[in-house]
Amino acid sequence: MITQAEIASFIERIPPTPAILKNTLRYVEQGELTKAAKTAAQDKALSLYLTTLVNKPIYGFRNEIHDLSQIFGILGTSGAQQVLFNYMMSLLSPAKWELFKLNQTLFYDLQAQLSTRWQKILRHLAINDKECESAITLLPASIIVCEALFKAHQTDVEQLRSVKLLDYNTILYRLSKLDLFDICETIAKTWEFSPQIALIVQCASGIKPSADPQINQMGRWMHLQLFHTLSQSAFVEARLNDFIDFQVEFVEEIYEEFSNLMETP
Amino acid sequence: MRPTVKDRIAVFNPQGFLDGNNTPVFLTVDDIRATEQLSVDMVLVSLKKVIFFNKNGLDVFVKLLNNLRAKMRVSIGFCDYDHQKFQAIVKFYEKDLNFSLFKTQKIASLFASNNQEETHTVLIYNEDPSQRSTMAIELFDFGHNPVIAQSKKEFEEKKQHQEAYYAVVEDTFLGLFGQKIATRVSGNAIIYTISNYLDATIADVFNLDYHTNSLNVGFRLFVFDAYKVVAMNIHALNFFSRLSSSATEYNATLCFVGLTLEKTPLQFKEDLEDSGILFFDHMDDILKNKELLEELGASSAAMTKHKRVLTKTLVGELPRFIEATVSTIEMMTSATANKEAANIHQLDVEDTQDKVASSIGFYGDMDGMIVLIFPKEIARKTCELLLGEAEHDIDAILDALAEFVNIIGGRVKSLLSEKGVALSITLPRTYLKVDDLLEMMQNKKGVQVDLNFAGDKFVFFLTR
Repeated sequence: MITQAEIASFIERIPPTPAILKNTLRYVEQGELTKAAKTAAQDKALSLYLTTLVNKPIYGFRNEIHDLSQIFGILGTSGAQQVLFNYMMSLLSPAKWELFKLNQTLFYDLQAQLSTRWQKILRHLAINDKECESAITLLPASIIVCEALFKAHQTDVEQLRSVKLLDYNTILYRLSKLDLFDICETIAKTWEFSPQIALIVQCASGIKPSADPQINQMGRWMHLQLFHTLSQSAFVEARLNDFIDFQVEFVEEIYEEFSNLMETP
Repeated sequence: MRPTVKDRIAVFNPQGFLDGNNTPVFLTVDDIRATEQLSVDMVLVSLKKVIFFNKNGLDVFVKLLNNLRAKMRVSIGFCDYDHQKFQAIVKFYEKDLNFSLFKTQKIASLFASNNQEETHTVLIYNEDPSQRSTMAIELFDFGHNPVIAQSKKEFEEKKQHQEAYYAVVEDTFLGLFGQKIATRVSGNAIIYTISNYLDATIADVFNLDYHTNSLNVGFRLFVFDAYKVVAMNIHALNFFSRLSSSATEYNATLCFVGLTLEKTPLQFKEDLEDSGILFFDHMDDILKNKELLEELGASSAAMTKHKRVLTKTLVGELPRFIEATVSTIEMMTSATANKEAANIHQLDVEDTQDKVASSIGFYGDMDGMIVLIFPKEIARKTCELLLGEAEHDIDAILDALAEFVNIIGGRVKSLLSEKGVALSITLPRTYLKVDDLLEMMQNKKGVQVDLNFAGDKFVFFLTR
């Protein structure tokens, strides 16, 4: 099945952060949103991504927004960082999905839903931290890594799962002692994300609780949010529902609070 | 979503939230079709990883499961839930509860046929006395030892001694059940429990697939526990006669135990005897008579009159069987596996100590059996992907070995189907003692291939 060489080859292929994106992020970090918008405008793909993403219904803007300065203004520094990280993740996503029945639009939808709901959760938890907000952007990397590593082994996995209920994360770990989230952490390091982002996402795998209570709390909410999203018809159809194991016990204590929050507009 | 199959139970494992909107997409038309092709006794939906469900969500599953029940004559229901979820489901359906509920898959497996000889002591409690009795009867028919608690107080007292029971059956409900004849294994004999009036429907409720499986993996004695049979008609007579005739090809024996002939013509018994079926008054007359067991073929010492020999076609397909085995090893261990030597002779195992074995039969356009023999430690290493890192007892290793040989069987089936050869595979069987396997093989000839992966050796044997 998957060999160490395949994992190493995937890691080697993680592209460095493009220069324009790096500069845009630097301006966002400095709070220079106008400069950030001007820099971002130099990259047509980035501009298109930003306008497509923020005009998704889940962002809730009444009128379509095309002006990048306006977009950066509305998003603010933490929102802009989150969207830029989402763009970086989209660079890693395959042109054609094979293991999962995803496409670019559905993947962007997933990113948008995770991001906006995560902001809602953080507001509810009264956590106001740019890095924590951006942590959600790394979560879909687990899906991208899974697609890249397992797409050539679909038949093997199907045969394995016909006799034993094993999720991709467990299969990968048992074969290589590295799981999907360890590889996400490597991506985060390559892209110079704050270490806290990787810690939250590792915890959100549901199998690596953190000793830090706040990270553990966010990991719990992120794990439940992921499965709340992956339970939607479109993502069930895309075969994402069981790509990792849902740890019910890990999230049970926050379930009531979570469902109340999700029901509030 | 495809189900996971174990012990003739297919289980769907949705995760997260189940409601009327998303449930229809969990089971697509293709998933249903694939499930219909499975040889199983039960189809269940596990709620273990479901944090929320509502009635609309369950309704969709119930409708799909009901269709499967109608087509496959299987038991259907839900499993893996806590007390709160059990109460919610019972409340949702109240008097329309016609599917089963099993608190765990372990409990569900007590109500299904498998190839293992296991009699378990099981504690049962249900508020409804008729449910208690139904469960006890079913468990008894499947060869278990049910202990019924007649009151909640008695149940709580008995439950204090959990170690005395293999399982505690609570928060469990048997819906429309018993569509297939209960089957259990005793020694090397398969026991079917038949009851009531036997007519043409016997052909529908008798699991011919399981029976053929059992013949193919080496069972030679089939006992019909007929204590509860009231009478049979000519259609049932013909069915059993045909079954007996087909068993002779394998040199197998069919017996009836406890059949009263008050309402069945004596001529029927004579006709069945003519077709080779034996009659006994009590089960112990067979199961406790070692000499008779040997004579009837349920013992290693039985002599086979008609040895099934290797065919040219089967040997011709050997490379595909080896390819399936090697590729499964490579998939499970990421190590390269190699063939060392291949010879046609009787199964030859140098040292049977500290070795375990597993086998799987196949039938259809060709028939035969694949046998794998591993040193225990190599078996554990081979199945590490299925077992994980934790320490495992020998039962878990044998369980994983059964899953492993099941995957090989699946691969053989798929490789040969590309050539237009249609096969069905049997339930896997495992052997803690290789001597038991050697006795079962009865000096059969086959192709023995020594395989090696990462320096570890094991034996592959293909026979009929």
